[in-house]
Amino acid sequence: MSSSPHSRAPALSLVREAAASSTARDPATHSDRTLDWSICMARAQGGDREAYRRLLEEITPYLRSLAARRVQNRGDIEDAVQEALLTVHAVRHTYDPTRPFGPWLVAIANRRIVDGLRRRGRSGSRETPLDTEHETFAAPETNYHEAASEARALREAVEALPPGQREAVRLLKLEEMSLKEAAAASGMSVTALKVATHRALKNLRKLLGSKGEDK
Amino acid sequence: MITTPDLIESLVANAAPVRRLRPPVVRAAGWLLFAALMLALLAVSHEVRPDLALRLRQPDFVIGIAASLATGVLAAIASFIVSIPDRSRIWLLLPLPALFVWVSTIGYGCLTNWVSLQPGSLLLGDEAGCFALLVLTGVPLSLAMLIMLRHASLLAPTRAGISGGLAVAAVTATALSIFHNHDASAIILIWNFGTAALLVALGGTFGRRMFSWVAPH
Repeated sequence: MSSSPHSRAPALSLVREAAASSTARDPATHSDRTLDWSICMARAQGGDREAYRRLLEEITPYLRSLAARRVQNRGDIEDAVQEALLTVHAVRHTYDPTRPFGPWLVAIANRRIVDGLRRRGRSGSRETPLDTEHETFAAPETNYHEAASEARALREAVEALPPGQREAVRLLKLEEMSLKEAAAASGMSVTALKVATHRALKNLRKLLGSKGEDK
Repeated sequence: MITTPDLIESLVANAAPVRRLRPPVVRAAGWLLFAALMLALLAVSHEVRPDLALRLRQPDFVIGIAASLATGVLAAIASFIVSIPDRSRIWLLLPLPALFVWVSTIGYGCLTNWVSLQPGSLLLGDEAGCFALLVLTGVPLSLAMLIMLRHASLLAPTRAGISGGLAVAAVTATALSIFHNHDASAIILIWNFGTAALLVALGGTFGRRMFSWVAPH
């Protein structure tokens, strides 16, 4: 790298000058690196998996740095990188090895990054993140601060059930046991449990429903 | 969500050898060859307009037809070039000079022949034949373009759609002026320009959807 450009072949020094005149830290415009990538891609087009793996692994950090310039969120950056990789894979036959690899890759990456920005912009304009202060709905019932009293009403209604039905609700609904476990715990048969649950729910509906109408 | 190293592994596992695309100009030539074949087939089945030999001696007709043909050729080349990721979108401007000449010949003819439009010249049967010709040339050419440019669905669907639509429209208009004799230039204007505008608009609007239909992501 420290050797003077004049000692190189003219074509190569031209490329080096072009690379130096653009952003010097940019790996895609760095002639040696892209030449390497270009060869890898040419081999990958022929089915060389090792070359392809090396290429994809090497371009990934570069794609990430490209995405990070436009996207802030870490997850979104990784999404853009993965979509760019998928696109590179899908259109790898459009790469012409006689042309530099950098611009080809950058064009694809930019397209995916912009697509992602657009998509997030669209969903961002339609959707609002749900904060705790938004957890209320238009219907007036939902705004009553009576969740606690409703829970108490339900508990009282369950207490008011006949003992068999109360047991069935407690085991199957409140403790979320399976029918078999509940049968083992209560000593009732599975069929009896099913019948008891059915009747209990019917009764509860009647009890709570009549209360709701009173209001 | 899949992690990036896993994604790379799965892509590497699917890295079957691919055939490189030929240079865009060669592929455009392939499409134009197909278009020429279509026109030749049409010339065999339909007959050429009766006054073609006479019209070919009139410079404005020749300029018009040459301009629409040139627009078709240049737009086809442009759409194959812009469908490659690293090519500049400035290539989209390639057909513009020819397009300008084409539109001006139509406009000029329209201006000078406007009075020749008579009420009786708008015959429905004739228009139906015109429309059939339009569909007969336009649909296969659009499909061929769509399939040949399917990789553009991931890259530049709108750009490729606009340019491809223009190429199809220009070739179709050339066919129309070879096979149909409309001396009422308003009709030419409506057909040529209306179709071109329609196809370009369709290509631009639905390009993305049509490409993703041909090449699902």
